[in-house]
Amino acid sequence: MPIEVTMAKLSPTMESGQLVKWNVKVGDAVKEGDVLAEIQTDKAVMPMEAFDEGTVALLDVQEGDDVALGQRVLVMASKGEDPAQVAEKLKGGSASKAEAKKEAVPAGAGAGAGAQGASSAPDYGHSTDSNGQHAEAEPREPGGRVRSSPLARKIAASEGIDLGQVEGSGPNGRIVRRDVEEFLQHRGAAPSKGKEAAAAAPAPAMPVARGPVRETQRVPHTRMRKTIAARMLQAKQTAPEIHVTSDIRMDRIVALREQLNAQLSKQKIKLSVGDFVTKAVAMALRKHPDLNASYEEDAMVLHGDVNIGIAVALDGGLIVPVLPNADQLGLVEIRQGTLALAEAARTNTLNPKQMMGGTFTISNLGMYGVKQFDAILNMPEVGILAVGTTEARPVVENGQLVVGQVMTVTLTADHRAVDGATAAEFMRTLKAFLEEPAAMLL
Amino acid sequence: MAVMQYREALNLAMTEEMERDDRVFLMGEEVAEYNGAYKVSQGMLDRFGDRRIIDTPISENGFAGIGIGAAMVGLRPIVEFMTFSFSYVAFDQLVNNAANMRYMSGGQFSVPIVFRGNSGIAGNLGATHSHRPEALYAHFPGLKVMMPSTPSDAKGMLKAAIRDDDPVIFIEHENLLGDKGEVSEDPDFVVPIGKADVKREGSDVTIITYSRSVITSLKAAEKLEEEGISAEVLDMRTIRPLDLDAILNSVTKTHRAIIVEENWPYCGIGAGVADRIYRAAFDELDAPIQRVTAKDAPLPYNRRLELDMLPSVERVVEAVNQVLYR
Repeated sequence: MPIEVTMAKLSPTMESGQLVKWNVKVGDAVKEGDVLAEIQTDKAVMPMEAFDEGTVALLDVQEGDDVALGQRVLVMASKGEDPAQVAEKLKGGSASKAEAKKEAVPAGAGAGAGAQGASSAPDYGHSTDSNGQHAEAEPREPGGRVRSSPLARKIAASEGIDLGQVEGSGPNGRIVRRDVEEFLQHRGAAPSKGKEAAAAAPAPAMPVARGPVRETQRVPHTRMRKTIAARMLQAKQTAPEIHVTSDIRMDRIVALREQLNAQLSKQKIKLSVGDFVTKAVAMALRKHPDLNASYEEDAMVLHGDVNIGIAVALDGGLIVPVLPNADQLGLVEIRQGTLALAEAARTNTLNPKQMMGGTFTISNLGMYGVKQFDAILNMPEVGILAVGTTEARPVVENGQLVVGQVMTVTLTADHRAVDGATAAEFMRTLKAFLEEPAAMLL
Repeated sequence: MAVMQYREALNLAMTEEMERDDRVFLMGEEVAEYNGAYKVSQGMLDRFGDRRIIDTPISENGFAGIGIGAAMVGLRPIVEFMTFSFSYVAFDQLVNNAANMRYMSGGQFSVPIVFRGNSGIAGNLGATHSHRPEALYAHFPGLKVMMPSTPSDAKGMLKAAIRDDDPVIFIEHENLLGDKGEVSEDPDFVVPIGKADVKREGSDVTIITYSRSVITSLKAAEKLEEEGISAEVLDMRTIRPLDLDAILNSVTKTHRAIIVEENWPYCGIGAGVADRIYRAAFDELDAPIQRVTAKDAPLPYNRRLELDMLPSVERVVEAVNQVLYR
C-alpha cells in the first residue's frame, strides 16, 4: 500500500502550513524520523518528520505552496512496491481527468452557438459574441469580474487562491467547486497565468538608470509576518500602554561579569550582560507579581511561575521562545537556556512547548548599540522590558562628573492592569538588583 | 403496521381522532350518505351518526363559516372541500376569518379547524379542477398548509392537523388517494407540523419537493443513480411553516438544489423556498437553484397536453443535470 503523508497540525493554532523546503526528492529512501520537509506554521518553521519508511514516489506540492491541514503532500511507496508504478497510478488518474476536462471545454465550444441555443441551460447572454462566434470559456468578464459560484469563492477565499488563475468548467466558464479543488490538487504543477503574463510583459521604456537598480518587488507576507502584524496591531489597538524608563548604573555588573567569565573560561561559557538582566528581571517579577501577569476580560491572572520570553530576531520576523522558571535558574543555566532557545529559533527547530507559557518578555537591542526604545506588549502579558546597550556615559556621582557604565531600560506595561506607581516600583527593584547584584542573593 | 391506501389512512386518522375527542366532527358535501365523493369518509356516518358526520348543501362560503364559528366556540371541525378548487368560493372565510381571528381578537379566540380535501392535477379534469392552491393559502399568515405524499404521512399529518389549535389547510392529492403503503395503527402516531422528511438520502444534489412530486422525484432519483448521480429527495410535507433547517442541512451537504412542484412557476412555492436558501446558504451553493414546475398556462383538458404541462421524471433529471453542469 502506498503511504500517503498529509499536512499535520504542527502548532496549536495552525490551520494550514506553507511548505518552505523539500528535504527529499522522488526516489529517495526514507527512514522513520527523517525530516521530509520544512513547514512554516503561523509561529515558526517546523520540521515534518516521516512516521514510516518507504521510497518517495510523488510530491504533491511545490516549495512555497500553502497546504491545508490534512491535505496530501507526498506519497511513498512502501517496501516491495515500485515507486514509479505508484506514481504512475496516482498521476495517471489525475492526468487523464485533467485531459478529459481540457478536451471537454473546446469540444463544447466547437459545437458552437447552435448547440448552446438548443440546450435548455440558462443563457446569460454571454455565450455568443457580436460575431456570432462562441465565446471562449473565459471566467473573466469585461469588467474584470471572475465568474464563479458562491461555494467556489468561499473555498478560494479560505485557501487563499486567486480565482483569476483557475479555469472554470461551468456554463460560460463559471468556476465551480470542482475547478477550485482540482486547482488545489495540481497547484504549482504549471506556471500560473499571472506569472506567465509577468514574464512575457516587455520592460517599460524608462530613462536609463545611472547605476544598478533594484527592481521593486512585491513579496507576499509569510505566515509569521501576518501573525506579527495581527498581534502588534491588537496590542496597540486594545492595550493602553504606559512607558517607564530608567537609567541603571551597570559598573558592578560589568565588573562581576568579567570576574565570572574569567572563572567560566575553562568551561567555555561566556555570560552576557543580557543574562544578568534576565536574572534580575525574573527576581524582580517574584517581588512584583502584578507584572508577572496576564490581563483577561474579567480577571487578572497572576502567574505562579516566572517564565521569561526572550525576543529573538530572525530573518524576516521575530519569535519569542520562553525560558521557564527563570527566577530559579543560575546565571550559567540562563546563559545555556537562552543560547539553546536562540539557536533553535534561528534553525527553525523550536517545538511548540518552547513557545508557550511566557509570563513576561524581554526585548534586548543592546547588541545593536541602541540606547533606548519602547517595546510593544506581547499580549496577554502585561509587561515587556526594552533593554538598550550598556555604555560608558558621563554621570554625576556625589556632585562630581565621572564616567560610569550605564544602561537604559524601558518598561512597557498594560495600563489597564498596571498603574504607574506599580511599574515604577518594579523598575526601582530591578535597578536595585542590577546596581547591587549581591542583593539578588538575599 | 398495516398496508392501506392513502384514502384509508386519512379515514383512519379522522376516525381515531373522533374517537379520542368528541369535539371533533366532519362536515362537507357528500361526506355522510355517499361516504365521501372520493370515499375518504367511508363508513364514518354509520360509526359516528349524523350529528358528527354532516352532509352540507353546495354552499362552501356558508359551511366554511359555520365551521369557523363552531371552532371559535370550542368544537374541532374538519371541513371537507370536495375538491380544493371549490374553496375559492369560501376564500373570504379562510383568509379573513380563519387566518386572522386569533390575531384580531387579541388571542381571545382560536380557530382549531382543518380544511381538507383533494387537489392537484389529476387527469383530464380541465382547467378549473386542476388547481394547486397551496401557494395561495401559504401566502397568508395565520394558516398552516400541509400536503402529505405517502399513506403513512397522510395519517400522521392529518392527526397533527386535527390536534392543532389553529386553522390548517390540508391538501390531499387526488392522484395519490389510491396509493398503498405501510401505515402505523398506533393511535398516537403523529407526524408533527413543520417537519420535513428525507425520503431518499443522496450526496450530489438535493431535490426539494412535496405531495405527488415526491413520487416523481423519487423515480427521477432512481434514474439518476443509474447515471452515477446521488440525489437526495427531501419531502417538505408542511408548506408552511417551512422546515428551513432540514432544507439547509441537505443543501449544505450537496451544495446544489432543485425544487419540484406542480405549481405554476410565478410566485410558486419554489420561489419562496429558493429565496430562503439563497439568503441563508448563499456561500454553500455551487450552482443556481433550478425549479421544475408546471408550465405557466391554464391546464389543458387534452391528456397529452396535460402531461406535457407537468413536472416529469425527465424534466427532473434534466434539471439535476443542469445544476451539475453535465
